[in-house]
Amino acid sequence: MTRDATTARGARHHRATPGSRWRGWLRHHRAMALDSARRLLRHPLGSLLTMLAIAIALVLPAGLWLSLDGARLLDAELDESATLTAYLETRIDAAEAGRVEQALAASPGVASTRLITAAEGMAEFQQVLGLDEALARLPANPLPASVVIRPEDPDPAAVEVLAREIAEVPGVDEVRLDLAWLERLRHLAELGHRVGLGLAVLFGLGVLLVVGNTIRLAVENRRQEIEVVTLIGATHAFVRRPFLYSGAWYGLGGGLLAWGLLTLGSDWLAAPVSALAASYGASFRLPGLGLTGSAMLLGCSTLLGWLGAWIAVSRHLAQIRPR
Amino acid sequence: MIAFEHVGKRYGGRFEALANLDFRVRRGEMVFLTGHSGAGKSSLLRLIMRLERPSRGRILVAGHDIDRLHPSQVPFYRRQIGVVFQDHQLLYDRSIYHNVALPLEIQGTEPREAARRVRAALDKVGLLHREQALPIELSGGEQQRVGIARAVVNKPALLLADEPTGNLDPQLSADIMALFEDFHRIGTTVMVASHDLALIARLRHRTLRLHQGRLVADEEAA
Repeated sequence: MTRDATTARGARHHRATPGSRWRGWLRHHRAMALDSARRLLRHPLGSLLTMLAIAIALVLPAGLWLSLDGARLLDAELDESATLTAYLETRIDAAEAGRVEQALAASPGVASTRLITAAEGMAEFQQVLGLDEALARLPANPLPASVVIRPEDPDPAAVEVLAREIAEVPGVDEVRLDLAWLERLRHLAELGHRVGLGLAVLFGLGVLLVVGNTIRLAVENRRQEIEVVTLIGATHAFVRRPFLYSGAWYGLGGGLLAWGLLTLGSDWLAAPVSALAASYGASFRLPGLGLTGSAMLLGCSTLLGWLGAWIAVSRHLAQIRPR
Repeated sequence: MIAFEHVGKRYGGRFEALANLDFRVRRGEMVFLTGHSGAGKSSLLRLIMRLERPSRGRILVAGHDIDRLHPSQVPFYRRQIGVVFQDHQLLYDRSIYHNVALPLEIQGTEPREAARRVRAALDKVGLLHREQALPIELSGGEQQRVGIARAVVNKPALLLADEPTGNLDPQLSADIMALFEDFHRIGTTVMVASHDLALIARLRHRTLRLHQGRLVADEEAA
């Protein structure tokens, strides 16, 4: 019997129009969403434990992701402080130094400049090192004037190119840039990202397993029901539907719990983190999830729950055959 | 309605459950299937429901070779067959009403239309007043009538029953058989597997007798 013949016969028999089929399908979805939620609520402790397991699996990668997000903000702040120092030739006097500074400020790729005259340099030096007497005995100020340059593009490669260009400017003796530590931080952040991604994949699999196992038991408990509805003409989609909704509810519940744990955790860590950041002279705050982040967390957890249920039910449906 | 053409069924390559079955059942006919337990009655019904596939030959239902149905079409095929089981196969966590409504729920029938048909089916088997009861509150005979109501609720053209009176006393068995005769009278093709020979003899319908997987007698109603 071809499908057309079957459905045509069915249609004649039951007078089902495509519209009524569609409404019936929607009705069943609604009924199963409610029914599966009710089944979860009937065993609140068991459901809560499953959701908690999902939440814990989600908190670690999400927390790491958040900290890296924070590190990115810190990175941006450090970029602000990524500067070049151009030491001018010692023979150049204050007026000449001012002209060189203006020339540098006009160069392409330079965002701003600040001139430190030889005298200012000396003062700073004395203040920092406390070598007043020794320095005072020197016949002349041996320090050169310098210009601190903030580049437009903080990218390390671009900064290096800029440094080479500035070294060519007349009056400039030497250009220093100390970006190695910034580079190191970037590499660390990159490492963190990869570790975070790896953890997210592993713990995502963990969520699939948790949901899959729970749904497997639910399928086993409702085996007779599945056999009966299969006998009287239920499609696989019809049989699968309530379990998929259960999985999605578990995922959503786990996501909500994870969201709560993350919010609590970042509140708990906020004070020591900002104190630590302050000791380095940076203002760093753990970022919250925000609207997009929260939506993503809940979306991912719901999807993982649904997917775990789908895998578990499909594996099981193949084994369940009516007696 | 049903045509078996040299159908054989083997399990596990050795055990021959059915061999060379060749018969036809006309549309609207009522047929009994008899034989000792293990004679192959259930296997034959399972073949018609396409729970099993024949090892040999072919089975036509309503003119279509059901072995050639794609797996995705099988549910739609089964919806056209009403089946009554010896052990009722009711769902014990839902009411009589919802048990009978199950085939309509699967088809996505509008709730109002479904309610009308469920009540009509329950009325037919005399259990309208018990629609809110749970199956466990009903006697064996009543549970079987719920099973029948569920089988006929979407007005199938073909009604199959596997030992529907297996656990019932003679009077209840006669009542159940009378219900099947009623459906036969309104044009449904009915096939009932039973080993209650005394009852079958009284009812005077065509009888197919199986013995060790072979059709040994095909007796028209006397």
